[in-house]
Amino acid sequence: MKLSRSIVSLITVVAFVATLASHAETIRYQARPGSKVKLNGTSTMHDWTVDSSIIGGYIEFDSNFPLDPSKPSSDLKVTPKVEVTIPVSSLKSGKSLMDEVMHDAMKMKNFTNITYNLKEMKPKERKAGDPLQFDTKGDLTVAGVKKEVGMVVTMEPVAPNKLKTTGSTTVKMTDFGIKPPAPAVGLGLIKTGDDVKIDFEWMTARKDEKKTASAQ
Amino acid sequence: MNKQNSSVELNRRNFIGSFSSMMMLMGGVAITRSQDKAEPEKERYAGPPINCAVIGCGEWGRKIITELGRQNRANLAAICDTYPAYLKRGGNAAPKAEKVAEYKQLLDNKNIDAIIVATPTHLHKQIVLDALQAGKHVYCEAPLAHTVDDARAIAKAASGAKKLNFQAGLQQRSDPEIIHILNFVRAGAAGSPVMTRSQYHKKNSWRRSSPNADFEKTLNWRLDKGISVGLVGEIGIHNIDAAGWFMNRRPTAVSGFGSTLLWNDGRDVPDTIQTLVDYGKGPRLVYDATLCNSFDSDYDVFYGTDATVMLRDRRGWMFKETDSPLLGWEVYARKETFFKEVGIVLAANATKLAAQGDNPTLDTQTNTQGSVFYALEAFLNNTDLVRTGVQDFTTNFGAEDEKALVEYLTDILKAKKPAADWKDGYIATVTAIKAHEAVMKGSRIELSDELFNIA
Repeated sequence: MKLSRSIVSLITVVAFVATLASHAETIRYQARPGSKVKLNGTSTMHDWTVDSSIIGGYIEFDSNFPLDPSKPSSDLKVTPKVEVTIPVSSLKSGKSLMDEVMHDAMKMKNFTNITYNLKEMKPKERKAGDPLQFDTKGDLTVAGVKKEVGMVVTMEPVAPNKLKTTGSTTVKMTDFGIKPPAPAVGLGLIKTGDDVKIDFEWMTARKDEKKTASAQ
Repeated sequence: MNKQNSSVELNRRNFIGSFSSMMMLMGGVAITRSQDKAEPEKERYAGPPINCAVIGCGEWGRKIITELGRQNRANLAAICDTYPAYLKRGGNAAPKAEKVAEYKQLLDNKNIDAIIVATPTHLHKQIVLDALQAGKHVYCEAPLAHTVDDARAIAKAASGAKKLNFQAGLQQRSDPEIIHILNFVRAGAAGSPVMTRSQYHKKNSWRRSSPNADFEKTLNWRLDKGISVGLVGEIGIHNIDAAGWFMNRRPTAVSGFGSTLLWNDGRDVPDTIQTLVDYGKGPRLVYDATLCNSFDSDYDVFYGTDATVMLRDRRGWMFKETDSPLLGWEVYARKETFFKEVGIVLAANATKLAAQGDNPTLDTQTNTQGSVFYALEAFLNNTDLVRTGVQDFTTNFGAEDEKALVEYLTDILKAKKPAADWKDGYIATVTAIKAHEAVMKGSRIELSDELFNIA
């Protein structure tokens, strides 16, 4: 009787360990200061740029995620969970009048953040040692309007437990219901172009707490 | 409580109108900022309003209340004064604002974002320290304090409040018209600085009428030697600040003399003063003020080796020396007669005015708001930058990394509107306090480097 109890206990422990092993660990990289996002546009008078150094959010992926550039590319089994937040108020041009026009056009009163949620991520073909690049698709929400955007992003471990994600894409203001501003101060002569190129460099750092996938 | 008194002054606008005509005849070079034909577009503001409270509803406080009502970022939530009559008058200009007698009530109110301190000077310190401690952004009228110790305490608290905006009430530092003239002087258009001269000439007693004898002393704090910094401290501080700002130098010594020549009503603060402010081995500021004679009112004159710039009622004129080099802008300037000489008049945006169909030779002015409006606009704009900056940062990264937060704020504040910070306020205040001390003693006082160190 005693023996059989021990066997049962042993089997239980082995089964538990096996269960743990079969679930990969979930790793979370949290946004940290040091990021940059630039919105580059045009107008009939001159090109313009607004930028912010606040990119909030997180990346969550399992421990199988191919994060080592020294290894060749591999398939992704699961798309990481990525949520990005940029406060509209943090976007600055260096000119307060232009900022007011921009914030107003982006309906900041009602929609305080620009958000992005990753939907799909595929590693690009590369050789071992090349930067980690991915084709991505995700939902970008600006002024309350959601639109799918695709872009190539590069991920680069820059320090122990620190990850830099960079990318670039071009969107149209009108796709998000934003009428390209024509400030009254320009007497209607200054018209802003519809296209806006977004460049970003997003710094994240691994969170101390680790959660297991099975615990979620 | 009242801050300034202009009850028996000449009508300034009329005076300046006649003065401008006189200057035309004299042949000055008018330095006016880029002039748009229409009023500049008022900034739209998409963010939440900044809830402000004004402490001190005297004449100057009420001016601030009125100007705040014209700002698109401000919501004047409350006003405060211990004197019921002033509180009532303040309420007339801000009927929706809460009225309180005790300023600590405002500090306990979480909805108040910013405090504007317009009380008598000797009451500033405790209010400012309490307000910063309570996490409020602060605009403190100049002078910051009536003693160096109090000024230093304010400067230390303001410099340590990294997540708050502090502005000293040296309003001309935010005025686009004056900044434009400053740029001319700083660019060397007048040559090397020779000296500056400023004056304040009024004929009024500086005494406020009181409903009863008990309150008379409280109301007339400017005439009380124990707490007043006199004419040079209350009025001349703006001229002292302008001189140092234009010449980009810090004062090194002050000398002064004072007398009571007309208002022999028992006061112990002189009604007429002369002061001299040294700037090392360089040029000096000569400042005189009187309450006994209003001739020629108030203005600043910056003398350089190539030209003289007069600054008066937010406008500037340049008088070139005959041997001064050509600068290039004279092409667009109009010529006027100054006695037997021919002067050149500048219209800074001649090309732009011509493009708009205007005559660039006409002297126009579009920054029609007063300096206080622009100073409050800068305060609200910069407060908004700090407030949203702190909020954006802490929402996304938490509040633990204070160093990174301060770096972020420093970066976004590169785009702030020009305004007097705690350092500008401290230097001007200390210089003015010492100048008043020199006036009272009839002596010269050296201003050591340590005096300007707030540590």
